[in-house]
Amino acid sequence: MIAFFGRSVVQKSITLFFVSVVSFLVIHLAPGQPSQIDPLNPKFTREVVERMRQQFHLDKPLHIQYLLFYRDLFTGKTVSWKDSRPVLGKIYERFLNSLPLFILGTLLTWTFSFPMGIRAAIQRNGPFDKSTTFLSYVLISVPGFFFAYVLIILVVTHLNVPVIDMQTFGVTSDSVMVLFMDRVWHLVLPSILGATGGIAVLSRYVRGQMLEIIGMDYVRTARAKGLSYDGVYYRHALRNALLPFVTMFGLMLPGLIGGSVIIESIFGWPGMGRMAYEAILARDYPVILTLNFITGVLVLAGTFISDLLYMVVDPRIRL
Amino acid sequence: MKTITTAHTPQTVLDLDLMPPSRSPWSETWRLLRKNRMAFSGLVIFAIFFIIAVAGMLLTSGRKPVLDPAQVRLQEKLRPPMSVPIPETVVSGTAPILGRYLLGTDDLGRDVFARMLQGAWVSLTVGFVAVGISVLIGIVLGGLAGYFGQRAIRVGHILSWSLVVAAPILALAAKPLAALLAAAGALAGWAFYAWRRRRRGEPTPVLLRWLSWTAIGVDDLVMRAVDIMLCFPSFFLILTVVALLPPSLYTIMIVIGLTSWMGTTRLVRAEFLSLREQDFVAAARALGLSDLHIIFRHIMPNALAPVLVSATLGIASAMLTEAGLSFLGFGVPPPHATWGNILSDGKDFIFDAPWLTFAPGIVILIVLLAFNLFGEGLRDILNPKLRERN
Amino acid sequence: MASSTDIVLKVEDLRVQFHGDGPVSRAVDGVDFEIRNGETVCIVGESGCGKTVTALAVMGLLPQPPARIAGGRILFGGESLLEMPSSGLRALRGKRMAMVFQEPMTSLNPVFTIGDQISEAILVHEAVTTADARRRTIQLLEDVGITDPGKRIDDYPHQLSGGQRQRAMIAMALACGPELMIADEPTTALDVTVQAQILQLLKRLQQHSRMAIQYITHDLGVVATIADRVYVMYAGMIFEQGTTGHIFNNPRHPYTMALLDSLPTREKRGQRLYSIPGSVPHPAYKPSGCPFHPRCPHRRPSCVDAFPEMCDYGEGHLARCPILYGMERDSA
Repeated sequence: MIAFFGRSVVQKSITLFFVSVVSFLVIHLAPGQPSQIDPLNPKFTREVVERMRQQFHLDKPLHIQYLLFYRDLFTGKTVSWKDSRPVLGKIYERFLNSLPLFILGTLLTWTFSFPMGIRAAIQRNGPFDKSTTFLSYVLISVPGFFFAYVLIILVVTHLNVPVIDMQTFGVTSDSVMVLFMDRVWHLVLPSILGATGGIAVLSRYVRGQMLEIIGMDYVRTARAKGLSYDGVYYRHALRNALLPFVTMFGLMLPGLIGGSVIIESIFGWPGMGRMAYEAILARDYPVILTLNFITGVLVLAGTFISDLLYMVVDPRIRL
Repeated sequence: MKTITTAHTPQTVLDLDLMPPSRSPWSETWRLLRKNRMAFSGLVIFAIFFIIAVAGMLLTSGRKPVLDPAQVRLQEKLRPPMSVPIPETVVSGTAPILGRYLLGTDDLGRDVFARMLQGAWVSLTVGFVAVGISVLIGIVLGGLAGYFGQRAIRVGHILSWSLVVAAPILALAAKPLAALLAAAGALAGWAFYAWRRRRRGEPTPVLLRWLSWTAIGVDDLVMRAVDIMLCFPSFFLILTVVALLPPSLYTIMIVIGLTSWMGTTRLVRAEFLSLREQDFVAAARALGLSDLHIIFRHIMPNALAPVLVSATLGIASAMLTEAGLSFLGFGVPPPHATWGNILSDGKDFIFDAPWLTFAPGIVILIVLLAFNLFGEGLRDILNPKLRERN
Repeated sequence: MASSTDIVLKVEDLRVQFHGDGPVSRAVDGVDFEIRNGETVCIVGESGCGKTVTALAVMGLLPQPPARIAGGRILFGGESLLEMPSSGLRALRGKRMAMVFQEPMTSLNPVFTIGDQISEAILVHEAVTTADARRRTIQLLEDVGITDPGKRIDDYPHQLSGGQRQRAMIAMALACGPELMIADEPTTALDVTVQAQILQLLKRLQQHSRMAIQYITHDLGVVATIADRVYVMYAGMIFEQGTTGHIFNNPRHPYTMALLDSLPTREKRGQRLYSIPGSVPHPAYKPSGCPFHPRCPHRRPSCVDAFPEMCDYGEGHLARCPILYGMERDSA
């Protein structure tokens, strides 16, 4: 067990190091300098640019820049080039905005896809299976930005509720209820959009897993024992079919920081995705690199947690 | 009273009429594809889309295109679909096809139908080139990892190769002395290996033994590279690179291709790992066939089916990524039309001119649906585990 | 002769078809057999001749579709199983008739302990407490010869050896004291020594209870060891039936003879072993007339068209070859 921990930590640290190097190189070797953001801006005089270059160590060789950047990151001193605010604070603020979207989206995804996939597998080739299969393909294929507009048109014209931004601009009311419902309305649409793709993919995956397990010999054994329908499918088959999904809890972790760039920019949601998008537009390297690094950490931590969970639930895997 | 014994007369009893008809894998796949209605309709739609895209490319390109997607007619802006152009505004030779704006016009009075045709070709090339790149990388890396997985990369290999790479770079950086030294080092490395090859079996001198230390296995190297790439959020990475590089269609295709090879690599590696252990490969090896012959003639054909499936689905996802990039304004630079930027331009007129949103949106939906249905259908057909018994 | 009340299982003209793409496969094509109390009956035949499908049809475990029972009757203790509602069949399965499968490796659920899986079979059919079920499970494990059953009961299948897993499967089948146990090649996947132990175990268990065993195998050596009566199956039909003595000493069908001839024995030392030319016909592409005629050394032109009827040699010995029956009668 300790050996497994040690090996994982060493291996993942090495991977993380390379991730940091690659992302640093990708950004710094791309043509263009951050100090040339806007040549037309009158505030950007030669001295200002020079001062900026010095302040942000841009005049030093690349490997020194790399070391300085990650030293700052680990000591929490990295600041955004755009507004000189600490990057971690900025990210945390946006993270809190994205969190409700993530939670609601994940809840929707998991509550819909499992029953859908299981039922489709048990009634293979039946009408429910065929229609959910087709629906899944439609949801996988529909571009998020198009679907968002269709939903906006529907909701705005038929229900007359505003949905852009996190809350209606200038909404003031004494009633907590009104404020709360306003928040909820703004939350629902982006969450549904975030969940549709997930529901489609996950329910297909659940169906495939379940189908594979239903064909196993031990499911036949369970039937030969005289177990009821529920006992066969929900006790013997489902338990095995669900094993791979335990790992998904770990793989969800990076989703915490992802946020969808497209959905957040359509709905004007001030979340992580939007921040990343704005940082890219402004060539705000510290923000981009920090986001990248945190994502890397979360991906690796996620795979580690998956491995651990798998060991817990699958009796065949023991260290 | 064992009176009758079996007569041991050799005889042919192989009666072909009594066996199920044997079909080649391809014709069997085709037969099953014909039976799978969803997959087959996906294939048909894909064929139609392909023809339209090629026709669109021919009709909208060149100096004097039949349909000019960039023709601005400000008097004709935001005309709904099927509207007839105002006769006096039509410059000769720029009339829309069939004398109507089939899909209406946009805010600059450009023919949306012509723009959609131009965009079809963009989507098609982006999908195919990006997936071509990722499949190529995936097959090479996955094949290497799967077939030569246990071979070790030694310290000496890394050293000589980095010298080989370093020499021209240093030469370009105008550091002749260092470049010469690197080249000399690389030559020495080559000489060392040539010498080792000639004297196989003799012990290496103690002083040079560190050169043969194992640095990392081939499989490990490839899989760690995959792990590293998987640490990046893919759309974000693509967005970053595309935003930093000068905008062009080729950048997008290459970047999408370079950031999506991990799945294929894992797939090919897994296939190679299991196929390598099969008896027919052992037989081929026993016959003394070369590694390359075994890889390309014996393993590759068997490993291609899952790659084909993932490529089909990959095309859909590459097209979606391109549309997303165009939508965010990072795609193909204007005035070139793509489905993503038609939709993006149209979003400001969503209530006045919904066709600007719905035409590209629905077309993207249908084409992606076709690819996904075909790909998933193919997966079911090629998966013997899920294939229904006959 | 046993009276009809003794009969546990009676199968009459059973026909099972598989509808996939392509022509219909007639996997079981009119099978009749019966099993009496306390008797071990072997069904022998090459792979693909419909043995397992017959067993699954009896248990009601055929996946439908693609399978379809196209005709015939299955009588278990006088009740017709094909007309029974699925709940009734479920109450029967595991309680009055049980099945042991070929692959002990894959037939046990990997995520439950064997104790869980065995006591589950008891808990489904009987109103007993969990503690009682556990106590009985330990007893069952001991009965099937698993050492230290108190510990083994909490093991997962992957912690047991192949032979132990098959013993656990047998314990599961025995859980409710069934009247009939169907064993579908239970020893094929095991080592020869383990195979012998399992066969001994089955024989011993049968002596304690009056359980009937339907044993499916392609191994004539096994048949000789345990069978009271034998049914030889080919292409979805019974070709010959009789006591073990009838089949081994006086085979009346060319197929049975061919099977016996391909068995290595001491007398045949040094000779080239016989093998039946050709292979079992695909159930969707069966030959006309006698299904065995393309491989038969005694075939006559008439075999190509005429469907062979069962010929009675007396004492319950029947064979489906009119040609040999005619020759026998002529010489007598």
